[in-house]
Amino acid sequence: MKKYYEAAKIMFKTQLVYRFDVITGVVFSVFKIFLATVLWGAVFEKKGIVSGFTFHTMLTYYLITSFISQLDQSAAVGWQVSSDIRNGRFSKYMIRPIGIFRYFASQSAGSTAFLLFFNIFAAGVWIFLFQIDFTIISDLNLILAACIMIILGLLFMVQLHYFIGILAFKILDVTALMMMKENIVQFLTGALIPLALLPRAWVHAMTYFPFYYISYLPTMLLLGRNSGECVSGIMILVLWNIAFGIINTFTYKHLKSIYDGVGI
Amino acid sequence: MSIKRQIKIIYMLMKMKLSKNMAFRFSFFGAFFADSTLFLIQLFMFSAIYSQVGSIGNWTKSQMILFIGTFSIINALAMTFFLFGLITIPEKIKSGELDLYITKPIPSLLYLSFESIDLGSFPLVFASIAIIFYAVSGMTVSITFLSVVGYIFLVILMTVLWYDLMVIIRTIPFFLIQASFIENLEGEVLTLCTKIPGTLFKGPFKILFLILLPYGLMATVPAQFFSGTLSMSGFVYAVALVVAFHAFTMFFWKFGLKHYKSASS
Repeated sequence: MKKYYEAAKIMFKTQLVYRFDVITGVVFSVFKIFLATVLWGAVFEKKGIVSGFTFHTMLTYYLITSFISQLDQSAAVGWQVSSDIRNGRFSKYMIRPIGIFRYFASQSAGSTAFLLFFNIFAAGVWIFLFQIDFTIISDLNLILAACIMIILGLLFMVQLHYFIGILAFKILDVTALMMMKENIVQFLTGALIPLALLPRAWVHAMTYFPFYYISYLPTMLLLGRNSGECVSGIMILVLWNIAFGIINTFTYKHLKSIYDGVGI
Repeated sequence: MSIKRQIKIIYMLMKMKLSKNMAFRFSFFGAFFADSTLFLIQLFMFSAIYSQVGSIGNWTKSQMILFIGTFSIINALAMTFFLFGLITIPEKIKSGELDLYITKPIPSLLYLSFESIDLGSFPLVFASIAIIFYAVSGMTVSITFLSVVGYIFLVILMTVLWYDLMVIIRTIPFFLIQASFIENLEGEVLTLCTKIPGTLFKGPFKILFLILLPYGLMATVPAQFFSGTLSMSGFVYAVALVVAFHAFTMFFWKFGLKHYKSASS
């Protein structure tokens, strides 16, 4: 366990080296809030409540989802794994006495831990700047459930990105897959619009998939809505994590045999 | 250099790039698939919002779809012709690789712009046209020869504006070694302006996104023209702005080149 803790610690320190890039990344999250302000400002000019949201609860929704999205640094895992495979550098992980997935998951956790502080600070600044009437529930059980869901969601995203990364054994260039995934996941996690705005049948179908629970449901829980889905949400995320763990192990074992370690 | 010769060079660069791209067939249509999902999801997003309200600002659902289709077609043209070439400029300045371009007997910016033509992105033009047709089918405007020609003209004009803005931003590394945050900023502003028409901005943001960094004009102006909501002064302003930006871009690039210090940049 200690070696994974060290991997996380190194990544935490690496973020300090690239602090300017990290900080600009956090600062640029303002664009999401600004987009929400302009778009929903125009929508709420004509209607006081949309799908149970007021203008301020909508802005709070975007603030929380943007905060959770910023914590997810797992895309770097997909890019790193695929690039190392393509360039023949992946052999270095194969010969080390480590679990490759656990190593990348630890690195991702290190980045997230570093960003946590900056994101909390940035969220405070955006609340002040956009004068958001920020209100979340005070029920500690629901807050805890939302936090568990966020952690499980982040773990699932690492698994997903690792899976796309190791597909590079087979298809070499996964850039298009990564970009498509980015667009689709943004929509499915509710980072673009609250899923409550979609047709009921769509939302019902989404509850069987993990994306619904990554940022949408935790945000809704913090806003005091959908509390009935809390336990089932955690269960579904745990199941998806187990399933993807098995898929990743199988895919890695199956595909690593075609890796020549030469690169292109 | 004559336009005929420039087109000949672009054609040769395209042929060279095409043979290179064929080595990675899966990635050939990569950008097309990635951006198709982007605009498709945007359609879903706005359909969901319009299921709750009749209009956003003064934009009806059909007008918003036209806006998305217009941005999609401008994006497709940019990706096909110059985007992948221009994005490599900062790295080439930093590494000194630009030497190879400025010593060749063709204009360096022309070479850099069109060396990475991506024909795999071109099908996105057809997908965008399908979105535009879908939008127009829901509108009550009368389509005339003039409105179609004017729309195409404005789409080309706004593609030139995108080109100019890309070149200006990628000329900055001649003066600043580390300018990646400006490119990141460009990405964020572009994402913002693909999602909301420029007319929705208010106060100082209107000045920022319609004059200083006019990404807010790109899809807005052609979409407004086609739906008959663009005033004559709006049309003239758009044309004048692009002419001014293009002149500045050419000047700024030459000015930047004078400050290029080869590998020591």
